[in-house]
Amino acid sequence: MKILLVEDHTELARSIAGYLGQEHYICEVAGTFDEAREKLALFSYDMVLLDIMLPDGNGISLLKLLRKEGIESSVIIISAQNALDFKLTGLSEGADDYITKPFPLPELHARIKAIMRRRSAHKNNVLTFKDITADLESMECRINGKLLNLTRKETNLLLYFINNKGRMLTRQAIAAHLWGDYTDNLDSVDFVYQHVKNLRKKITDAGGKDYISTVYGFGYKLSAPDQ
Amino acid sequence: MKLNYRYTLAYAVLTFFVLSIGFAIVYAALSRSVTQATIGQLEHLHELAASQLRSGRPTLPDSLRLQVQVVPVVATDTARRVRTVQVRAEWDTALQARVAMVRLTTYPVVGGRLYRLASRAAVVEPRDAYLTGLVLVFAWTFVFLLALVVILSELISWRILRPFNATLHGIQQFALSQPHAIDLPATRTAEFNELNEFLVKMTARAQSDYRGLQEFSENASHELQTPIASIKAKLELLMDSELSEKQFRTLTTMHDELERLAKINQALTLLAKLEHFEPGPDALADLSQLVPATEAAFADLAEMKGLTTTQHIAPGVRVPLDASLAQLLLNNLLSNAIRHNVPGGEIQVQLSATELLLANTGHAPTAPVSELFGRFKKGNSALDSIGIGLAIVKRISELYGHHISYDYADGWHRIRLTFAAAAAQPG
Repeated sequence: MKILLVEDHTELARSIAGYLGQEHYICEVAGTFDEAREKLALFSYDMVLLDIMLPDGNGISLLKLLRKEGIESSVIIISAQNALDFKLTGLSEGADDYITKPFPLPELHARIKAIMRRRSAHKNNVLTFKDITADLESMECRINGKLLNLTRKETNLLLYFINNKGRMLTRQAIAAHLWGDYTDNLDSVDFVYQHVKNLRKKITDAGGKDYISTVYGFGYKLSAPDQ
Repeated sequence: MKLNYRYTLAYAVLTFFVLSIGFAIVYAALSRSVTQATIGQLEHLHELAASQLRSGRPTLPDSLRLQVQVVPVVATDTARRVRTVQVRAEWDTALQARVAMVRLTTYPVVGGRLYRLASRAAVVEPRDAYLTGLVLVFAWTFVFLLALVVILSELISWRILRPFNATLHGIQQFALSQPHAIDLPATRTAEFNELNEFLVKMTARAQSDYRGLQEFSENASHELQTPIASIKAKLELLMDSELSEKQFRTLTTMHDELERLAKINQALTLLAKLEHFEPGPDALADLSQLVPATEAAFADLAEMKGLTTTQHIAPGVRVPLDASLAQLLLNNLLSNAIRHNVPGGEIQVQLSATELLLANTGHAPTAPVSELFGRFKKGNSALDSIGIGLAIVKRISELYGHHISYDYADGWHRIRLTFAAAAAQPG
């Protein structure tokens, strides 16, 4: 899958591109408005990650241009603007999603995956990891066909883990994913611990293997033991 | 006290003094002229008596003749020929009172003989006859003047002070964050013009300083976001590589601190954004729907802390508030209510047509409750929060004119949001 990252901060662009590369995306970087426009004219991308503040233009006008020319790429806006800017002014109009800086890289990955799934022609609505399957339509999770009785947050958490399997997920990243940006609630990381604990218990109670490992003081990782 | 009242009062005191002095002068002049008139009458009487002596015919009526004593005098006695006038208080048998008495003695020469004519008359005391009248005249003058002054000062000060009052109104309406300059009407009074000019200059300067500061803080926190995002991404990538435990711990600490920095920065950008946010005129938030939804979103957190939540939600409460701002406000309030709670505590949410009351059990705040709406003020420094949530809540309430108050009593924290306009009930 091809992604165009439009971001003028080279170091950040390099990190994001590196991360997405590890997730087996083909990621190209454009540092300026013109470069991005050129690349979009020449090649086709499945997704565009768009920064709003560019040295020679505005990401929003690039988005409008994109839509005018009928380019069907999905767009996620990556911006230093406040989340409220998007909600109050409809800044993200025409984009599929937006994410505010700074964001955890797994969060970006999760959003890309969600959009890709929504847009894919053959609706593959089932997510699998080892013996765990998650139906994204009905939001039902099963272990070896056995239904797991998960709360909405736990389901969300499990999906986040599966989408970012094999990666370290910080408690903060999980908290931001589960509760959104607004809360100045730094101790929600303690609640992350509770949620993960409950999720692990429910999986093991249902006879599943505990694939989630704790990285002490930092976060969690979903990985198969034999990997 | 209003300016024109002060003027009126000062004028009243002044008028009172001037009128009192005037009254004293008039009284003195009156009593003097009354005495003079009596003396004049007696002199006339003496002249008549003298002419009677000359002609030998009685020209005086009997009643008057009795008043003048006519005594022939020895001619050699020159010392007593001088005319004398005496005014003194005497006992008057007819009036049965001590009265001021005028005694006139003249020495006319009639037919070569010297006579001594003596007479006396009671002076009409102004105290008896005119005092009441005088007092009434002055009192009425005073009252009339005062009434005139009160009415005129009201009218004149309304006219003259109109530009001043307009300026006052302009200052009251003025807010540093407003986009346009202060609005002061032009006037013909030099002093008021000077005042207005000064005010316009001063507020323009304050506004530009304020805008500069705001722009700076907004830009600063905005520009910080990208480097923070970059560092964060790098740290995350680094964590996925092979590290020793020590390195890993250091990285974790760095990541946590960066997370905190990012949160503070985000909150500050948000506040800066709200600072000059122009609320839409017809934004309405359906709190009856939003409050339970927010409560549900936080239900798992409350449950984990073992908190019991009770809700009383009136249906169809819509208040002027942008929906996403309302969500932000409720998120902050509810997360606070959970965070600052005690294990096994309680939360009460009450929404009525006029107010939203959020109460939760918790430890007593260490800082004065009124300060908790300020930035970086924390009621409990032990908790790992950044202390800006309530500042945001306050700002949002202010934007729409809602009133927010906070108090702590008997182990309960209560936050009360009183809605500005009466919330619309469903029709």
